[in-house]
Amino acid sequence: MTSPAPASTTASTPASPALRAIEATLTRANAELPALAPLLAAFGPLFAARARLRETAPGWTGPLPAFDAERFCQGVFVLAQMEHGQGFQDMSASLPQAAQHLLPVMAASFPALADELHSLLGAVESGELAPQALAAAAFGQAVAVPGVSAETLAFALSELVRPFVERQAQDLNALTKDVSWRQSMCPVCGGAPGMSVLRRIKDEAEFIQSHGGRRFLRCSCCATEWTMKRVSCPACGCEEPDELVVLHDPTRPFERADACRRCNSFVLCLDTGDMVDVPDVDVAALTLLPLELQAKAQGFAPLAKHPWSEL
Amino acid sequence: MPKAFLIDTTRCTACRGCQVGCKEWKNFPAVPTKQRGTHQNPPDLTHYNFKLVRFSERMDAAGKVTWNFFPDQCRHCLEAPCKSGASLEDSIIIDKDTGAVIYTEKTVKEDFETIRSSCPYDIPRKDPKTKRIVKCDMCIDRVKANLLPMCVKSCAMGAMNFGDRAEMLKLAAQRLVAVQKEFPKAQLCDMENVSVIYLITDAPANYHKFAVADASDSTQGAPGMDRQQLLAGMFEPLRRAAKQIQG
Ligand code: SF4
Ligand code: SF4
Ligand code: SF4
Repeated sequence: MTSPAPASTTASTPASPALRAIEATLTRANAELPALAPLLAAFGPLFAARARLRETAPGWTGPLPAFDAERFCQGVFVLAQMEHGQGFQDMSASLPQAAQHLLPVMAASFPALADELHSLLGAVESGELAPQALAAAAFGQAVAVPGVSAETLAFALSELVRPFVERQAQDLNALTKDVSWRQSMCPVCGGAPGMSVLRRIKDEAEFIQSHGGRRFLRCSCCATEWTMKRVSCPACGCEEPDELVVLHDPTRPFERADACRRCNSFVLCLDTGDMVDVPDVDVAALTLLPLELQAKAQGFAPLAKHPWSEL
Repeated sequence: MPKAFLIDTTRCTACRGCQVGCKEWKNFPAVPTKQRGTHQNPPDLTHYNFKLVRFSERMDAAGKVTWNFFPDQCRHCLEAPCKSGASLEDSIIIDKDTGAVIYTEKTVKEDFETIRSSCPYDIPRKDPKTKRIVKCDMCIDRVKANLLPMCVKSCAMGAMNFGDRAEMLKLAAQRLVAVQKEFPKAQLCDMENVSVIYLITDAPANYHKFAVADASDSTQGAPGMDRQQLLAGMFEPLRRAAKQIQG
């Protein structure tokens, strides 16, 4: 196992706010939760590498797709409104270079997968795995790469395309501004929420500032965040106090799992309402692993899985 | 990273949530008080009141009444004059991470009057039981745990803000521009020297005698120097001398 490298060590430019937040959240988590140190050491550099790729990713190129606010209000998310349902734009041209950056980081973080990841990088570099095929495989098409298991391929490629997807989603999400969305799936790509966050929103126009913050669900595919009623199950809409269960550790009052007895689902939640520095949500999701396991042990199912959920 | 408060008095309704929140978090007992015809209660900061909402009613020549609210507390000065006034190195310490000025148990060995008079904002108080000199500690226990100071958390009006200094300076500048549209004389008090920055719309003296450090009426013969600089300069040699004597 490699030692936990500071997230910004490989960046030559000064760390961006996102990278600084990752680093600060990792440092705090390592100090507070020594039991999670190996996981943090493995995923921390991956999160940082992803953030760096996201910052240089092209985003949505050309005009944004046609958007019908009325259909959106009825629950048709942005990408579902596209005529041929193309989904995110083709990012294959960026992938070989991204693979050269990301796969060695992953190989160092996950020694058990290192051989396979090196084989995968070899196939990309030699052109044996063409960029188009790489993108197709990332979005679920069956592609065989010699020396790489299907699971490792799926894990590596979903991490590889994620920064590009997230960056495009940031642009697409501009369309949804000021239009209400009451669904539990992502307003941009229709993905399921893997995490939720209570955020303090400062609104100068409001006289009384809300205490405790607003609830945001966060897409497990493209990291888009959208608001959701605080006391309700995002999966089935249940608002019965008796059916809604909050699992938490009294020593970590800002972390919890919001579960629902009616549909047996749960979503993790980070309450940043009282915090000075808002943590990086990906790192925070990792620190919520003990609660995730506890919720599963009690028979609840997550709305979306994290890459580490099955470890 | 150094932290700072922005106290936007234009948003303050004097609900005193911050004052009560501070007291509760610190677990301080009630202090006996009496009705003196003002909502400012207790009348002044005490060893059990590190935060006090000051009320100041004024009528101008035209008969227009204004009521100014000032949630007073330690400013966590960047070059804390109270520290320069201390004889011991570690009775008053600066937390490197946050910039909080913290009074330790060693303050029992300090001369209270010297420390109090070295503070341009008249903040330090003495606890008669423990003999310690006490004041706001920036809720350092909470801040170290990434939690907002209790007074900030308690403020529902958005008057109390807390975060990285750079961010607070930015917010302060934005709010100043917005507020100046209605109140051209609005100002940010002693922004360069303190970590607790007040945004006020009226002359500082119309809020509180010690709202800003520059009490030119009480300092003589120090042109170009505000009271804070004067005091800092005055006590520095003293402190050095004390250090030499103690070795
Ligand atoms: S809690 Fe806020 S609004 Fe109330 S007195 Fe304190 S600063 Fe003013
Ligand atoms: S306000 Fe007074 S007590 Fe607080 S740091 Fe400044 S000098 Fe010291
Ligand atoms: S920071 Fe803490 S100690 Fe200081 S005034 Fe606010 S609540 Fe009181």
